[in-house]
Amino acid sequence: MKAKYFLTLLLPFLLIAPVNSESKLLQDDKLLDLLSVESKIRSILPSIKSAVVSIESSDGAGSGVIVSEDGLVLTAAHVIGKRGEKMSVTLAEGGKQNAVSKGGSELSDAGMLQLEKNEPYPYVPLAKPGSSVPGQWCLALGHPNGFNKERGMVLRAGIILEKKDETLQTNCRLLGGDSGGPLFNLKGEVIGIHSRISKNSDENYHTTIESFLSNWNYFLSEEILRLKNLQSAGFLGVMCEQSKRGLRIVEVVPHSEADQMGLLADDELLRLDSIHLDTREKLTILISEKSPGEVVTLDFIRGSKEIAVQIKLGSRD
Amino acid sequence: MIKSLLQKVFWQGLLVGIINLTYGSLLFGEFPNIDAKERTLQYKGFHKKEILSTNISLHRNQKKIAIGTIVDSRGLLLTKASSSVGAKYGITASGEKFSVRIRRRDEDKDLALLQIIDSYRSWPSVQWSRENNRTTEGSWVISSDENLQHLHLSMLSGMVREVPREGGVMGVIFADDHNPNVSIIDVLPHSAGDRGGLQVGDTIISVDGRRISTGQMVHNLLRNKDPGDLMILKIRRRGVEFEKRITLGHRSVTFDLFNRNLLMSGSVSKRKDNFPKIIQHDAPLPSFAMGGGLFTPMGRCLGINIARVDRVTIYAIPFSEINPILEKWLKDFP
Repeated sequence: MKAKYFLTLLLPFLLIAPVNSESKLLQDDKLLDLLSVESKIRSILPSIKSAVVSIESSDGAGSGVIVSEDGLVLTAAHVIGKRGEKMSVTLAEGGKQNAVSKGGSELSDAGMLQLEKNEPYPYVPLAKPGSSVPGQWCLALGHPNGFNKERGMVLRAGIILEKKDETLQTNCRLLGGDSGGPLFNLKGEVIGIHSRISKNSDENYHTTIESFLSNWNYFLSEEILRLKNLQSAGFLGVMCEQSKRGLRIVEVVPHSEADQMGLLADDELLRLDSIHLDTREKLTILISEKSPGEVVTLDFIRGSKEIAVQIKLGSRD
Repeated sequence: MIKSLLQKVFWQGLLVGIINLTYGSLLFGEFPNIDAKERTLQYKGFHKKEILSTNISLHRNQKKIAIGTIVDSRGLLLTKASSSVGAKYGITASGEKFSVRIRRRDEDKDLALLQIIDSYRSWPSVQWSRENNRTTEGSWVISSDENLQHLHLSMLSGMVREVPREGGVMGVIFADDHNPNVSIIDVLPHSAGDRGGLQVGDTIISVDGRRISTGQMVHNLLRNKDPGDLMILKIRRRGVEFEKRITLGHRSVTFDLFNRNLLMSGSVSKRKDNFPKIIQHDAPLPSFAMGGGLFTPMGRCLGINIARVDRVTIYAIPFSEINPILEKWLKDFP
């Protein structure tokens, strides 16, 4: 009853309200929404742009983003190629600097690079794990077609369409040269790194910041994880997807060590040798460092029970 | 008790609304500005109808070739000159068809003024935006899609700048640029020369009727041509002389180190260089949607989309550049 009164009271007011452009604007929430997003973007733009760099490698150009005062750059694995490469980096305001590539992973396409000169660099913060979800606004920055002084770096605004395991999909259109460039949320935090595209304009894929955070020290100090090297490493025999507590098993490879130890689909893996499994890539990396025949301890949840098993790793053949 | 509870819910609702506005992350429902099928950003705001009514889709031989933007109630529209050559008729957003005729043309900015042949109507024309802060980086802009059904939402980016002339290229390499015998030693695949039928070993005798003595002469002639221009070559192949007509290509397309980028881009505008001043945005428009207006979210026209460059780049000519020509054209128009 009350609601009805409310309506009848409000309606005459709306009818007699003068129809000028300003009152139209105020009734248009979509426009208000857009303009508030725009003002947010404009306010963070100067600081996020200052940390975006262009990277020249021997066979092309990519982008990257500085994430620490001492000049650590996040980029894509396919931009750096391999560890220990000397590369030339163009900073946001145009100066060139030398850098050396660190590690990364072919699985997620995460890569790292260290600027060599010892000076304080402008840098941007990283988003907390799990904070980016489909539906949120995002901003892509980078150097499509390589560094172009007259044009400057290029900004694209869009929305996160999907997020699965190591990958974010957005409608921020990317092009060659953008690879390794940062994807930001509207707080100006890095939520992803540009990785690959396909022909449709909504098919733009980015490595999640979670991939970096989960394997930070490995990427900093080890060689790039290569898919072909997994061939000779230990083999567990589970296919997983990320879940709330760890990794949910989607499929167990028949006759693998995991199968023989009785692991089942829907079991949730928590830890391997007491290391928390927060990404699929972490499990792959941990297993890749073991040889066939080595024994690992696996903690997992089945139903409501937490179980620990020791498994001797097999091989891929 | 219930009343206070309702009030609480009401206020929480408002707070959620504010969070949504601030971060734009509409986690609690549909996003307002995304098209479900295309999954691109779309403008669905108050001015949609108004914007669409000032755009006309231009056709030649049943094919869409460009969009025209109505700039005068007499049915005068601005469009991209090089795309709209031979435009026979226009179709409005509501599907009405009208004949069009070209009235004025400006090579420098690649703009043309067309008139809709329908004397008994007052056409809805664009309202120009004269605010400078709407052409800065990080401003939302709106362009009509090629069917005049949806409005793409994109963002201005990069510097306001001049785009210099690229010059036309054939994509062939001569043995020696200074040798009197101008023979071709390489033809790049898919280049203008390749499509025009030039082969390794051909000797160029004349270009557009002018006798050629060195490769350098050919380069000098090419420098004054644009991509899309025709060049008539007289060549000698195994002792036989004959003519070849070559439609010149783009330097960036022919020699681009990032050719993969073009594969990922789809059709690009034929003329995408040699503009005195452009602004840049990233709407997913095909090359035959050029000539359409670029609007602010408040429905004002900022400029005209003038070239699709690649997957992430559309150039537009800002109003400040259009205004002097347009004022003159409209003043002179009977």
